[in-house]
Amino acid sequence: MATREFTLPDVGEGVAEGTLEAWLVSEGDQVSEDQPLAEVETDKALVDVPSPVDGTIERLHAEAGDVVPVGDVIVTFELDAGESGAGTQASSEPEAPADEAGADGSEPEPAPDPDPEPGPAEAPAGGNGTAEAAGSSSSSSGRVFAAPSTRRLARELGVDIAAVEGTGPGGRVTEADVRRAAGDEESSSSGEPATAETAATDTDDGTVTVTAGDDGAARAAERPPGDTVASPAVESANRDRTLAAPATRRVAEEESVDIDAVPAVEQRDGEPFVTADAVREYAEKQRQAQAADATALATGEGETVDTDADTDTDTVAEPELETSDASDASATEREEREPYGGVRRTIGEQMERSKYTAPHVTHHDEVDVTALVETREELKGVAEERGVRLTYVPFVMKACVAALKQFPYLNAQLDEENEEIVTKRYYNLGVATATDAGLMVPVVDGVDRKGLLEVARETNELVEQARDRRIDREKMRGGSFTVTNVGGIGGEYATPIVNYPEVAILALGEVRKKPRVVETDDGDEIRPRHVLPLSLSFDHRVVDGAMGARFTNAVMEYLRNPDLLLLE
Amino acid sequence: MVVGDIETGTEVAVVGAGPAGYVAAIRAGQLGLDVTLVEKDAWGGTCLNYGCIPSKALITAADLAHEAGDAEHMGIHADPAVDLSATVDWKDGVVDRLTGGVEKLCKANGVELVEGRAEFADDSRLRVVHGGDGQGAETLVFEHAVVATGSRPIEIPGFDFNDGPVLDSRQALALESVPDRLVVVGAGYIGMELSTAFAKLGSDVTVVEMLEDVLPGYEDDVARVVRERAREVGVDFRFGYTAAGWESTEDGIRVTADPAEEVAADGGTAVDADPDIDTDADAEPIALAADKTMVAVGRQPVTDTLNLEAAGVETDDRGFVETDHRTTTSVDGIHAVGDVAGEPMLAHAGSAEGQVAAEVIAGEPAALDHQAVPAAVFTDPEVGTVGLTAAEAREEGFEPAVGEFPFRSSGRALTTDEDGGFVRIVADEDTGFVLGGQVVGPEASELIAEVGLAVEMGATLEDLASTVHTHPTLSEAVMEAAEHAVGEAIHTLNR
Ligand SMILES: Cc1cc2nc3c(=O)[nH]c(=O)nc-3n(C[C@H](O)[C@H](O)[C@H](O)COP(=O)(O)OP(=O)(O)OC[C@H]3O[C@@H](n4cnc5c(N)ncnc54)[C@H](O)[C@@H]3O)c2cc1C
Repeated sequence: MATREFTLPDVGEGVAEGTLEAWLVSEGDQVSEDQPLAEVETDKALVDVPSPVDGTIERLHAEAGDVVPVGDVIVTFELDAGESGAGTQASSEPEAPADEAGADGSEPEPAPDPDPEPGPAEAPAGGNGTAEAAGSSSSSSGRVFAAPSTRRLARELGVDIAAVEGTGPGGRVTEADVRRAAGDEESSSSGEPATAETAATDTDDGTVTVTAGDDGAARAAERPPGDTVASPAVESANRDRTLAAPATRRVAEEESVDIDAVPAVEQRDGEPFVTADAVREYAEKQRQAQAADATALATGEGETVDTDADTDTDTVAEPELETSDASDASATEREEREPYGGVRRTIGEQMERSKYTAPHVTHHDEVDVTALVETREELKGVAEERGVRLTYVPFVMKACVAALKQFPYLNAQLDEENEEIVTKRYYNLGVATATDAGLMVPVVDGVDRKGLLEVARETNELVEQARDRRIDREKMRGGSFTVTNVGGIGGEYATPIVNYPEVAILALGEVRKKPRVVETDDGDEIRPRHVLPLSLSFDHRVVDGAMGARFTNAVMEYLRNPDLLLLE
Repeated sequence: MVVGDIETGTEVAVVGAGPAGYVAAIRAGQLGLDVTLVEKDAWGGTCLNYGCIPSKALITAADLAHEAGDAEHMGIHADPAVDLSATVDWKDGVVDRLTGGVEKLCKANGVELVEGRAEFADDSRLRVVHGGDGQGAETLVFEHAVVATGSRPIEIPGFDFNDGPVLDSRQALALESVPDRLVVVGAGYIGMELSTAFAKLGSDVTVVEMLEDVLPGYEDDVARVVRERAREVGVDFRFGYTAAGWESTEDGIRVTADPAEEVAADGGTAVDADPDIDTDADAEPIALAADKTMVAVGRQPVTDTLNLEAAGVETDDRGFVETDHRTTTSVDGIHAVGDVAGEPMLAHAGSAEGQVAAEVIAGEPAALDHQAVPAAVFTDPEVGTVGLTAAEAREEGFEPAVGEFPFRSSGRALTTDEDGGFVRIVADEDTGFVLGGQVVGPEASELIAEVGLAVEMGATLEDLASTVHTHPTLSEAVMEAAEHAVGEAIHTLNR
């Protein structure tokens, strides 16, 4: 029975390791292809690692809680009959001298095998015809034609070399082929030769190490590494030929887009046809994706608020790391050390990048939201009937979009490399969310194009997914502005850190009743009013203080006077 | 016993200091691990002390004596006298240098050397019992263990290695004088190497072999060259017989052998298959007069010395420890390498496994993914093979392209006065990838290295054929065979 080893695939964005949160299967379990095997927490989310094959779990190589580097074996499968893996094949040496030849047939002791078979150390699966796929000539044995140094590189990069298409003489796999398969060299899916298909057509005559080239990773390959051009969201074709007008090709050139990668608009004369618009759209998507990739998480100081108590707020304390005197080894009993990794580290890196890249300024103000409180009170019931829990956040999001339209520089990004300020015509709002694992920022796309209830529903859903850490990493990308609700836990003002490369972030304090001076016909009076404190942090490279204040004023105008939102 | 039983901790405990174990230990040391190597007998294991090295020393001495006495056609007249005990002293000197080197290398790489027999107490502790009285025992607590306990010769009924005239290969290599008459049981590689050597040293050698030819597992045309040459130097073969027992006689011993069952039932066919082979078709038991008899019928893993069960390590039905391509056994953290982990039972295979084990333990992405492990037989002439034979290539689904070059066409072979044998290269017709090679002839054990490199690198016939080889050398034969496979041979007729 053939066995197959399955290594932790590159679950996307070139993450180097993941924390094995939980096994969803146990040894001896029968599993089918694509069935989730384990929950692995990577940099940004909890992902399910699906089974690459039908088979039985022979062995689990890691324990819940382990930090597993990508490319390390996590599962050994016993393959179902007919299931064949491709092989980084262990040597099976058919020429092994048959010991000291058996001279005594009646010998009951373990007699030398006159027909030497590969030893267990070399080919545990038994080289002889296990899952021998009938057919094709050169790759039929699952042999890999590659130099030992190349094979080692493949192991280091977690690439299943058997699945790599070689470009060397006779199809030999070269170092460059392996690097390409690992996504080291090529950013987009073009030229990505390692596919599940090639892996599957190879036969198995030994143990197989399946890594990034395998199905799991082929899936991940649709999400190329973070700081490169393409992004998971961008669907790119990968053709050899494309029909297009010369002008369209020019556009592609200007946009630095590979025309063969642009999804075809239609077929003409049986050939894929691409228009200039399609090229532009693709280019735009790529840019967004790029931005999104660079953006991971934003920060507010803490949690999200909802004055409506429990709604999107959990009283989750940020994991506190005590400042410790590391040199004092004897202090170990009084301190606890835990790995700085996963979501925590991603947050940290993102914060660091933002804080050290963008000079931050924070503008504070408060707004009387008594009218908003009433409006929400009125709409809450209606929303509930439609199954939507309505908090203040969607109102704030809508107000922000309205204000962002007036001040596009706050819905922008500084492209340092090209020295350009990129203002965005889309309004994708991140909502900072406290989760058990730390801060996450799900993004609600196209807030300008959605109704209030729709925004509310989507926000709730995404926040919930983030809390359960079931959120797709794509859902945390491509934001253009972020809102963080710190008031849910309490507090008024904050100095949030911009969700770089976005330019601004708005923190909401707690809505509280406060005595405020109200102008009435009878003159000024002190009345209890609902007040919302606001803190806007922005990147001073793009936005000056005056603009920040004006933007805040605009937001406040809509919040003070929610009816205005109807005009939007 | 328990008194003075101390517990020490180590990151890696390696049991057995043969080529598998000591290489694992050195590599682990190089990788910065804290390593303890335990050996109950001699640093260097079977290979350095009783196997590869002593046998090759003896073979070299035998060749020298034989060639010197057989060079009249070259105008050299000599009648060398062999003082085997001096030869053995010389051999021991070689062994000492090598084993001393192993010890030094281990120490230089920070490996802690412990003499004693190790056995598992459980899956994280080894008990090391020191030899001699009152030496006591100690406990080694390990994070990772590498089992490298090697193999020992198989004994057959009627032949007890404790009996004076009955030898295993180790004892044969330590003989003080050349036996006048030697009966060798088994025509495998060890049997053939030593039979040929003793015949050259002047013994009257008879080989009893159950099967119909020498070197089972090798192709007929390869085995034939070795068998014929052995006959020429005076080895007598009794194919199709199973050694049954021995008894003392007035002037030595008598070894008896019965017709092997398969041959008795099917003797005719065997004879038809190769009329050259004199299987006794009348199938009567035989008796062979001798002074010593050496039994070399195979080797079995040493798994009974170290209480594997206590650790839960599983063995297969032949007793080998089961491992995967990362050398891990059924127990996490316990690896097995070398002969104890199964075929191929060769020193270099064990060393390769040892390196992988150390690297895996150190967390490197190592694995045994060799395309092929070469094998050599130090008979006259030598045999060197690597990778696939033509038949195996076909079985694996390749359309084999085969090229051959006979040494009789090699200038260098003729000038060394050895013109038997050939080089054969097997490649994939479609892509030209070299899949394997078989060399039988002078220096085959060295020549096979180039073919091994080609197989390992994924080189093509074109690569081999287009590499300029030094003239006049035996290695040209490799190039010529590759050229032959693509129909471009110069010094032999193309197919
Ligand atoms: C005559 C002869 C000729 C050979 N020629 C060749 C050749 O030309 N080329 C080739 O590649 N191979 C050759 N071999 C085979 C080769 O010797 C073996 O493949 C090789 O030695 C295996 O190495 P190893 O490390 O696995 O085991 P070994 O070399 O057998 O070493 C195992 C060691 O473990 C020790 N040990 C066992 N149990 C314990 C324990 N419980 N505690 C502590 N120590 C323990 C033993 O004392 C031994 O020293 C030959 C063998 C023989 C007998």
